[in-house]
Amino acid sequence: MDTTPLRTEWKKGSAEMLILSLVEARPRHGYEISKLIEQRSEGAVRFYVASLYPLLYRLEKRGWIHGRWVEKSGQRRRRYYRVTSQGRKVLASQRRGWQVFVNAINRITEAENA
Amino acid sequence: MPEWKPEILRRLALLRLGPTREAEIVDELSQHLEDRYQELLSSGQSDDAAFRTSLEELKDEHLLARGLERVEQDASRDPIVPGTARSNAFAGLLQDIRYAFRTLRKSPGFAAVALLTVALGIGANTAIFTVIDSVLLKALPVDHPEQLVLLTNPDEQSRAIGFNDGVRDLLTYPEFQDIAQNNGVFSGVLAASSYTSSIPTAIDGSGESMGAASAEVALVSGSYFSVLGVDPILGRTFGTEVDKLRDANPVAVISYGFWHTRFAGARDVIGRKLRVLRTTYTVVGVTPPQFHGETVGANPEVFVPLSMQTEISPGRDYLSPETNHFSKTEWLQVIGRLKPGVTLAQARAAITVEFQQMMRAETAGMSAHDKQRFMMQTLAVRDGSRGASTLRADFGKPLQILMAVVGLILLIACANIANILLARAAARQKEIAVRVALGAARVRLVRQMLTESVLLAAIGGAIGLLFATWAEVALLRMVSAGSSQVPLNLHPNGNILAFTLGVSVLTGILFGLAPALRATRVDLNSVLKAAGRGFSGTTSRPGRMPIGKVLVVAQVALSLLLLVVAGLFVRSFRNLSRTNLGYDRAHIVQFETNAVTYGYQRADVIPLYSQILERLRAIPGVRGASLSDNGLLSGTDSQDPFTLEGQGKARDDEEVRYDWVGPGFFGASGIPILEGRDIGPQDSGNGQRSGVINETFARKFFSHANPIGQRVTVRDSDGSFDFVIVGVAADSKHASVRENPFPRFYTPFFNPVGKTGPTYATFIVRTFGSPDGVTSSIRAAVKGVAANLPPITTETMNQQLADSLATDRMITELSGAFGALAVILVCIGLYGIMAYAVSSRTSEIGSRMALGAQRQNVLWLILRESLLLVCVGVLIGVPVVFAVGKWISSLLFGVTAADPLAIALAAVLMFLVGIVACYVPARRAMRVDPIVALRYE
Repeated sequence: MDTTPLRTEWKKGSAEMLILSLVEARPRHGYEISKLIEQRSEGAVRFYVASLYPLLYRLEKRGWIHGRWVEKSGQRRRRYYRVTSQGRKVLASQRRGWQVFVNAINRITEAENA
Repeated sequence: MPEWKPEILRRLALLRLGPTREAEIVDELSQHLEDRYQELLSSGQSDDAAFRTSLEELKDEHLLARGLERVEQDASRDPIVPGTARSNAFAGLLQDIRYAFRTLRKSPGFAAVALLTVALGIGANTAIFTVIDSVLLKALPVDHPEQLVLLTNPDEQSRAIGFNDGVRDLLTYPEFQDIAQNNGVFSGVLAASSYTSSIPTAIDGSGESMGAASAEVALVSGSYFSVLGVDPILGRTFGTEVDKLRDANPVAVISYGFWHTRFAGARDVIGRKLRVLRTTYTVVGVTPPQFHGETVGANPEVFVPLSMQTEISPGRDYLSPETNHFSKTEWLQVIGRLKPGVTLAQARAAITVEFQQMMRAETAGMSAHDKQRFMMQTLAVRDGSRGASTLRADFGKPLQILMAVVGLILLIACANIANILLARAAARQKEIAVRVALGAARVRLVRQMLTESVLLAAIGGAIGLLFATWAEVALLRMVSAGSSQVPLNLHPNGNILAFTLGVSVLTGILFGLAPALRATRVDLNSVLKAAGRGFSGTTSRPGRMPIGKVLVVAQVALSLLLLVVAGLFVRSFRNLSRTNLGYDRAHIVQFETNAVTYGYQRADVIPLYSQILERLRAIPGVRGASLSDNGLLSGTDSQDPFTLEGQGKARDDEEVRYDWVGPGFFGASGIPILEGRDIGPQDSGNGQRSGVINETFARKFFSHANPIGQRVTVRDSDGSFDFVIVGVAADSKHASVRENPFPRFYTPFFNPVGKTGPTYATFIVRTFGSPDGVTSSIRAAVKGVAANLPPITTETMNQQLADSLATDRMITELSGAFGALAVILVCIGLYGIMAYAVSSRTSEIGSRMALGAQRQNVLWLILRESLLLVCVGVLIGVPVVFAVGKWISSLLFGVTAADPLAIALAAVLMFLVGIVACYVPARRAMRVDPIVALRYE
């Protein structure tokens, strides 16, 4: 997918939150995460290997998510990521911040439209 | 299925990740691409299209690397894969250390044995080195010790009256004053009595009775503290003002220890009065705890000005210039502090000239002969940073020998650990081969294994440091030899820690290098193919002696050396303690006293001593009692030039010793009179003086004539006197056990020579039974006659002998203990080698037995190998013994360094060790069941 500068910035700020939310409920592997982002955004947001994994590793290094190799019979091993307790706190605060930001944007743009 | 790995690897190449981390990333990303590819396939795309679309996930060549760069840069902490190439040397080292720890934890038995061995070895080395450091190496704890220069012999503690041509040991007070005033090289010069005296003291107002406690008193010049740069921790020190007037400055600086033991560390000690003998001194200051004066090993407690000398030793004047230049009192250690910029060589030149001028000034009016002799006196100017020492001369050589002994012990211990490591290396050969196959460099593997051994040695060294602190306490007790504790500072300092660290690292490399090199020289093919089959770990290439056996041979050779040395010291010590002293040592008890010191007049001394002798002789169980000036085996001796009647010439080139003895001296001590008679009561008074000579005197100077009735003239410091020989006594040892028989003569104590007469005496009491039974009666007898004398301290001849042999006992016991340790280590080493040999030859032994070999043949097979190793070791060891024997011969008595008995015993012991060590392996070999052994193949 083509990314304009605006979109790149927008993605950077929210990418961490997207990943944290996706592994909040249950552990997921990298491909699953990228599929979910693509599906739920209906193709508007996509992560490629080259940007997804550096991000996952960074979050892991910060201690927000934790990866674990899991082998299931008949399959190759996959690395599943789950959110850590620290990651949960970060996610909660990011959600609040995001909500404030979105509300503010909405108020501005709605006022213009009115 | 497409191959994703090369694509990903290419993009990661720039990051230089650790192999494990890289593999993980490749794994995870490949899985992602594979999932994507499968999905595209199932959506109907062609193989080719799906592949290309999937690859787009990786975007351009550098995006992935850039994204990972920041995350991975310092996060690539790999699980440890030792032996793999790393770019970061330090990270590699940490990794090696972690791995080494883990390896050691995995084999706790090996680690425990190795650690204990290393700890014992390093502990012994550190302990001996600590004592060496404080006795031989350490600088005085004073300001800039490197600027200090000694003008006297640091090993001399004495007061000598008389004359010695050659290098002067000590200086006189006028000489010190001259040098202090007339030199351009020193910023200050100090003098101190070369010995301290134990003198009765009492603290005023404390209710202490005089003489209940004594103190070690040092006489020092006023410049003493300022030249050394010692500041008091309390009060002040004294300065050169105290040198000006004789007996006018009763001030004392006390040591930290004395302050604590006698004043209980009271803050108000300054200004308190301390009675020393008959004078009351004012305490003006306390020295710092680490300061024990200028003499290492001495323990001065009270420092008083030199100008108080006649108060400290009443009746004797060591300060005034002597008119007879051949009988000056030499008793001072003199130390100068170099002016800034002046070198030792410059000081030496200047002081030599100054001393020459001083001597020349004294030769006025001398005969040409005397003048020539007098001018032969010189001064040695030497580095004074380590001060004087009471210990260096006695303990220097023994300590060096002990250092060498413990060094050898450590070498033997290293050989043992190296052997265990070799066996372990054999067991790890597959692991190492696998690593080499995976691309590990040999240097890297050697480093890893060396890290393991150095770590082992470092932990062992740390434990050894602990052992050393215990051992030092024991050593200090030995050095102190029963008397008061020698104040040596044995706390670990930089020197000692550096020594221990250095020895530990060296030890680790020493025992680790050979096994590491051997272990990493692997033939990949054969090892990997051998797949679990036994292989010969301690043998290298055919035709060469296996390294393990070389180590055992070296151990045998070194142990033989230690055993011979121990054997020599044991034999020497037996000779010393059994040597015939010439008198009845089992029944003699001695005590010393000096009536003049305790307020008696000189004229009263002889009557007092006679009375004491009468009382002593009346004690039941006493066989005889007498006295002499020097006493028996006290370490003091007297010597003067003499002339024989009719022979004219002065025999001042002959070493003739003498003593003043009381009536019945020979009967009381048990020295046989061979001709003539003993000194008797009739020899007291001022009449014609009689004398007794010993056998050696008679043989040497009267070889063909009867000495009885001959006259001898002796020139002493006060002029000359003569005596007529009335008896010849058997030879005996007077000053030390080691002395060779000197020509000796004995003149009557109660017919005194010279103007001063006797003051000091050693009483000798000989008993019928054990001398211990009469000591309280002796004390009571002395108290009854001389109430003013402090309680006397008696010592039996056997105690005195033990004291005088304390150093010999120390070195004998320590070398014996270390010899035993060496034997145990060799036993373990040989056992290890033989056990290994048996286990690796099980099948061979089985075959032999299957082919009809008897058990005895098998036993001999094993025994022969062990004995061969011992034999080679002994053959190498014996020449080494001869080579180093000379070094210790000066400490031996009655036995030569090449003593065949000691060597033979040591060799026999080594062969016994060879038999004992292979007993268990040999029994195992004899019980090999041929069937089992062959199946084992």
